[in-house]
Amino acid sequence: MLFNSFEFAVFLPIVLILYWIAFSRSARSQNILLLIASLFFYGCFDLHFLALLIFIALFNFKIGLVIAKGKTEKRKKMFLWIALLFNIGILGYFKYFDFFYSAFLKILGESAHSFHILLPLGISFFIFQLIGYVVDIYNEEIEPCYSPLNFVTYIAFFPKLFAGPIERAQNFLPQIEKKRDFNYAIIADGLRQFLWGLFTKVVIADNSAAIANNIFDNYSIYSGSTLLLGAFFYAFQVYCDFSGYSNMAIGVSKLFGIELMQNFATPFFSTNIGDYWKKWHISLSSWMMNYVFTPLSFTFRKLKKTGLIISIITTFVIVGLWHGANWTFIVFGLLHGFYFIPLILKNSMSKSSIVAQGKSLPSIKEFLQMLCLFTLVMLTMIVFRTETVSLGIKYFIKLFSRDFFTAPVISDKLKTFITLFFIVFLIVVEWIQREKQHALQFEKVSSVYFSKPVRWSIYCLLILFVFCFKGNEQDFIYFKF
Amino acid sequence: MERNEIIERVKNILISVLNHNRFEMKDELSAPEVEGWDSLSHMAIISAIEEHFKVTFKLKELNKLKNMGTLIELIQSKL
Repeated sequence: MLFNSFEFAVFLPIVLILYWIAFSRSARSQNILLLIASLFFYGCFDLHFLALLIFIALFNFKIGLVIAKGKTEKRKKMFLWIALLFNIGILGYFKYFDFFYSAFLKILGESAHSFHILLPLGISFFIFQLIGYVVDIYNEEIEPCYSPLNFVTYIAFFPKLFAGPIERAQNFLPQIEKKRDFNYAIIADGLRQFLWGLFTKVVIADNSAAIANNIFDNYSIYSGSTLLLGAFFYAFQVYCDFSGYSNMAIGVSKLFGIELMQNFATPFFSTNIGDYWKKWHISLSSWMMNYVFTPLSFTFRKLKKTGLIISIITTFVIVGLWHGANWTFIVFGLLHGFYFIPLILKNSMSKSSIVAQGKSLPSIKEFLQMLCLFTLVMLTMIVFRTETVSLGIKYFIKLFSRDFFTAPVISDKLKTFITLFFIVFLIVVEWIQREKQHALQFEKVSSVYFSKPVRWSIYCLLILFVFCFKGNEQDFIYFKF
Repeated sequence: MERNEIIERVKNILISVLNHNRFEMKDELSAPEVEGWDSLSHMAIISAIEEHFKVTFKLKELNKLKNMGTLIELIQSKL
């Protein structure tokens, strides 16, 4: 039951009607419905692991209470470590055991062996939320949740269950502790955000996927310039797939009166890598900053810049590994970590996270910086896409071969140009709206660009695009993480 | 040490680490309001404060800091 499926188009209105009419009496009744709907939603995908999800959530609920009530620092710390070992152990077993076991066998010179362990959907997302929750309780940043109903609803809330955002308890729990009232403005904004997410996913990501798949799968017969085109379309596929999913998740959540954190803030409009990671998968990057980079940089603070470099590279290797148990993701993380080194050495941090704030166009310098950053990120996505590191290296070598300066070979010209047109459309709309939470967020007062007729024309156009130009349905890339 | 003296010394440390003085020292001042004070420079600032005042912070104490006022109080509590 994907967000862009027929089943979801039936499921969502039923849950919404029940939520706002039959179960709207109290926060408790609203949460009971949300929990039932979320468990049903998860069960539709992954019935085997439904009990595991509930068990893990309840275990963390209980241990959160124990940590908070701990009489001594030593006792609190002991239960924090139990919680961390439990959560990391579960994630490690399901996601990484096969990978590390095979790597270990390889070191011993034996042939690889796989246990074919099935991966529970969304495990990386909900385990990270749980780790954040227990650490925040230990650090006395939050009070523990005293309601198992609210806590399991927080972890299992279906819009964010499979691919985030990795929501922090202090943002989510207060919202479901009180009754939610029907608010037209929030719901309308949610619908607009969902529409934008749906458009970027089914029109741009799915069409880009067809072009990128063809080039990546047959890279050895194509010229360097064609491979560059493949990397370009793959970069937009990943961005539109995941930001599209995030916008749909946040939009659906708003329909229930619950606001999730922003997960993407037009990351390709960044002038350096630090700025980029403040805007790309924000819920993961901020999680990594809080729970990995900060403790590491604190530990290594006496080593000055060397300590910072060690901390950032380690953090990004973990970011890479979070995506999956594969050397390609480790290389992806390493490359991003290395990109930070000039920033650390030059001590030049980003001045503003919004490029050309208050202006219509960027300066030539800003434009070139954005283009350079996009190219660097796009190149790392090659290894993110290929199945092995050696295939990634071969793709790189072929890309920078002599035929780089020839015209690219385009197998389906019409589809390629239509997809390019939509990418340009996306860039224009997102540039104009880059200071907003999402591309279709409009103020009540009509802006210069978006008067009421213009806004409604955009909605109608987007719906038309979704029906007329949707690509072949592709799974959400981040579901497998 | 007087609170005002601590504030003045922290201000000088910030200027030397961030290479600018485009901020106004007040209790409500938070890191995101200061140009260049982000997660990458944060520990450099903390480390410089520790060296200057000859104090040691715990990570748990740093996680609880809300603004400049709470940082000054934390330093004061350790002197």
